[in-house]
Amino acid sequence: MDLAAAVLAGQVAAGARLIRWLDDGDPRGRAALREIYPATGRAHIVGITGPPGAGKSTLVDILIAQERARGRRVAVLAVDPSSPFTGGAILGDRLRMSRHAVDPGVFIRSLGTRGGRGGLSRATYDATAVMDAMGYERIFVETVGVGQEEMDVTALAHSTVIVAVPGLGDEVQAMKAGLLEAGEILVLNKADRDGHAQTLRHLELLVHLRTGTQAADAWHTPLLSAVASRGEGAAAIVAALDAHREHLHRCGEFSLQSGRRSEQQFLAIAGARLRERLLELAPELRAQVRTQQLDPYTAAERLVAALPGPDP
Amino acid sequence: MSGARPLRVLLAKLGMDTHTVGITVVAHALREAGMEVIFTGLKQTPEAVASAAIQEDVDVVGVSSLSAGHTRSLPRLARLLREAGAADKLLVAGGVIPEEDVPLLEEAGYARIFTMGTDTRQIVAYLTAWGAARSGALQP
Amino acid sequence: MSQARNASPAPPGAGADERWEREVRAPFVAQAPERRDPFTTQALKWPIKALYTPADLEACGFDYATDLGYPGEYPFTRGTQPNGHRSSLWTMSQVTGFGKGEDWARRARYMLAQGLQGLILEHDLPTTNGYDSDHPLVEGEVGRAGLAIDSLEDLVRAFDLPFEKLRYLMSVCNAPQPVNLAMIIAALEARGVDPRGFVVHIVNGILIEYTCVGRYIFPPAHGLRIATDCLEYIIRHHPNWAPISIISAQLQPAKANPVQELAFSMAIALAYLDATLARGLDIDTVAPYFHFVINVDMDFFEGICKLRAYRKVWARLMRERYGATRPQALRIRMMTSPTTVALTLQQPLNNIGRLAIMATACALGGAGEAMTTPLHDEAHALPAEEAIRVGAALQHIVAHETGVADTIDPLAGSYYVESLTKGIEEAAMAEIGRIEAMGGALAAIQSGYFQQALGREQYERNKDIEEGRRKWVGVNHLVVPGEKRQIEIFRADNRVEEEQVARLKELRARRDPAAVARGLARVREAAAGTDNLVPACLDAVRALATHGEICDAMRAVFGVHTPDSQLTGV
Repeated sequence: MDLAAAVLAGQVAAGARLIRWLDDGDPRGRAALREIYPATGRAHIVGITGPPGAGKSTLVDILIAQERARGRRVAVLAVDPSSPFTGGAILGDRLRMSRHAVDPGVFIRSLGTRGGRGGLSRATYDATAVMDAMGYERIFVETVGVGQEEMDVTALAHSTVIVAVPGLGDEVQAMKAGLLEAGEILVLNKADRDGHAQTLRHLELLVHLRTGTQAADAWHTPLLSAVASRGEGAAAIVAALDAHREHLHRCGEFSLQSGRRSEQQFLAIAGARLRERLLELAPELRAQVRTQQLDPYTAAERLVAALPGPDP
Repeated sequence: MSGARPLRVLLAKLGMDTHTVGITVVAHALREAGMEVIFTGLKQTPEAVASAAIQEDVDVVGVSSLSAGHTRSLPRLARLLREAGAADKLLVAGGVIPEEDVPLLEEAGYARIFTMGTDTRQIVAYLTAWGAARSGALQP
Repeated sequence: MSQARNASPAPPGAGADERWEREVRAPFVAQAPERRDPFTTQALKWPIKALYTPADLEACGFDYATDLGYPGEYPFTRGTQPNGHRSSLWTMSQVTGFGKGEDWARRARYMLAQGLQGLILEHDLPTTNGYDSDHPLVEGEVGRAGLAIDSLEDLVRAFDLPFEKLRYLMSVCNAPQPVNLAMIIAALEARGVDPRGFVVHIVNGILIEYTCVGRYIFPPAHGLRIATDCLEYIIRHHPNWAPISIISAQLQPAKANPVQELAFSMAIALAYLDATLARGLDIDTVAPYFHFVINVDMDFFEGICKLRAYRKVWARLMRERYGATRPQALRIRMMTSPTTVALTLQQPLNNIGRLAIMATACALGGAGEAMTTPLHDEAHALPAEEAIRVGAALQHIVAHETGVADTIDPLAGSYYVESLTKGIEEAAMAEIGRIEAMGGALAAIQSGYFQQALGREQYERNKDIEEGRRKWVGVNHLVVPGEKRQIEIFRADNRVEEEQVARLKELRARRDPAAVARGLARVREAAAGTDNLVPACLDAVRALATHGEICDAMRAVFGVHTPDSQLTGV
């Protein structure tokens, strides 16, 4: 059985190998991706983000248990930062989910950001596509919150869960209203800690302010509490995820988002390719710009003008 | 830092032992050398480690054993990997492993045993050389 | 400088130091470059000057009365006992503990016969992690790293000892402490031993386990509650016992430097203290129960100065933070030990020399109540009987042949020793302040602060050795290529596991299931509420509930701990 067929049949070793090829930029990966791509677009992709120490991995661990209790097959992508100097990384998120290691219905994969920005690896999109094609119903993508750049995971995921912890008063501020708007489900983890009531009130206020500006049939962000280390709160979160997926399907957003995601990736890849090609095609323009003989705007206009126009 | 694909190394601690100093130092050294280290946690069973090795499609599986349970659990891990079709992964071990147990482990499939106190630069060099030789061998 | 004829001359000042440096030493060094650049202490990596003089004491504000005082008086820097070791020496002890109950008893009797008076009971990994010997996860581990205790009957078998020779019995258990404590109490009863006749000492040190080594079961806040239950129970019911030991000596192999070791262990002590005081006990009652196990590494002066700083910092904290007034509350109690991590796999006989040096440092820094020697082939496997004899003899040699214990705190007044002691003290007090500001030791554990600090040190220190900045004989200096180990290796019996499993089966068939169920229910109830866990564990233990069953009852209520970062420093 060739690799693409094995991936479509849901074989973990094959899926893992394909993700590896895509992560490494191995051309064999591209060929297989082409074959499996039509089978993507079904999985519900859930982003899990929040500041370090929020307990995201432990939360994912209990969410996996809940999903499995409902008979669903689950995949997890755990993304951690690669060293910008050496390219190496220590990927330790899966250890908090280790009780699921021998469950055949759970596929956990760790990725280093490998120079990707926004807390995601360039391969994250590809990896979710592979897991999607393998038939996993829910794919959790866990990333470290790095500030405003969490936006990237919200573009990738259908539903984004923001994980906060008590006592991070200033950090909650630092998470910025923009981030809170991008998340669809807000979870206050470690709810047994000191300062939980205060943080809860703060978050309630933020959610309330946002809800006040929304339309009646819009999705209203639920604020949920959890103590992941004790397994508490998982059922409510999964119910909220199910509800959000329902909502997205009902208003047609689900497939629109999947489509937007594919398109975004297409634009990013095409953009990078075109950029390389353009630089090859215009050495004189480049030289003129570099020696200040030509300003950048003029040079760009001349380059674009020289290209063939849109299809008739 | 070359454009070469980073080596993916799974580090695992089998059994009840929870000392992390040795494995921490090795993990950091491998990261400094540009490798991706997947740490599967403490108190792991051979089954869990084998499953993780497949899911992560690692190149190398490195197990640490400090509590003398190694004569049973390490060979079992090697067998599980073979049965899962992952015999092409490099299998190495480290920790408090007496000289006299090394032949048993080598026969079970462990390519190298790094006894306690091995210079991490040696470990990095060994893995790097293995990775380079394998990419060379895979070129058409 | 004018001098009155019958007054002693003023000591040389900084000016004189500079003159010597400029005119005598610097020209010499220009011809004979120094063999290290720079010279630094081994763990702290603080610069070591060529020479220390009275000017250094002046520079750090040293004052005999406030910094040293007298032995047996605040701040106890020179010693907690009025007469040092001149009246009685420290208790000499060693670690042992392996196999089944009877094996341990046999070895313990051998050790007592060799002149040791204290025994330290280590439990195997399944036991310290709260599992019975037949649990699927523990295959291959039963009885290897210590004693396998699955039920009260196992401990009763282990207590087949000449208790009249025993001054002191320490049990290392940590996470399942209330179960272990209950078994000890019940086992002593079963053997007809009067618990007032000697000191039972439980380590009960779960907070350190969250920062290094990692033998924990429940989440940190519950771990602290359990430890406090054991503390309170012993203070109220067995006031002559020792209910806690802060084993700073675990931090040191995890590469904590002396300042971190002192600061982290004190912050952890403060967490236990605060929790116990909240139970309605007062500082003058509780503080005297605290006990530290501190080890020294090969840097002779770091070790000595650290021990002196420990005494001063504890005294200051008790008085300044709690207003303690009883001398027993202000006097730290400690046990010292040469560290095992200074010992090498290579050329193991060298380790005997290392142990002698470190034991001497302990004696010079103030050995405390007891000194424990690890054994020279411990870099490798569990101790063999030959090594026990050498370890015991070594302490006697230091005590009787060197004279270091014949006067109190002989290195006091040394310009270097006092500068370094004060430096360690002040840096540690500052770090303790920082930890308290972040919410104390529990918060530091939950946020991973301790673990990350240690992870950084581990990586850096390992690099020091690999890159040759630190010379280690046998490892990167005077290496003997291809050397063969001659040391006799001790191998634990493989059959221990089978026998324990059989015993468990037989026990379960024989005991009264209703009594067991009642006992376990009592444990769950106590765990869910605020009742002290120890009485509930006593019921369960006497009903022959097993160690693993009682721990599972607590797991059902407390949950298990999976930390944010198991790999330190990541």
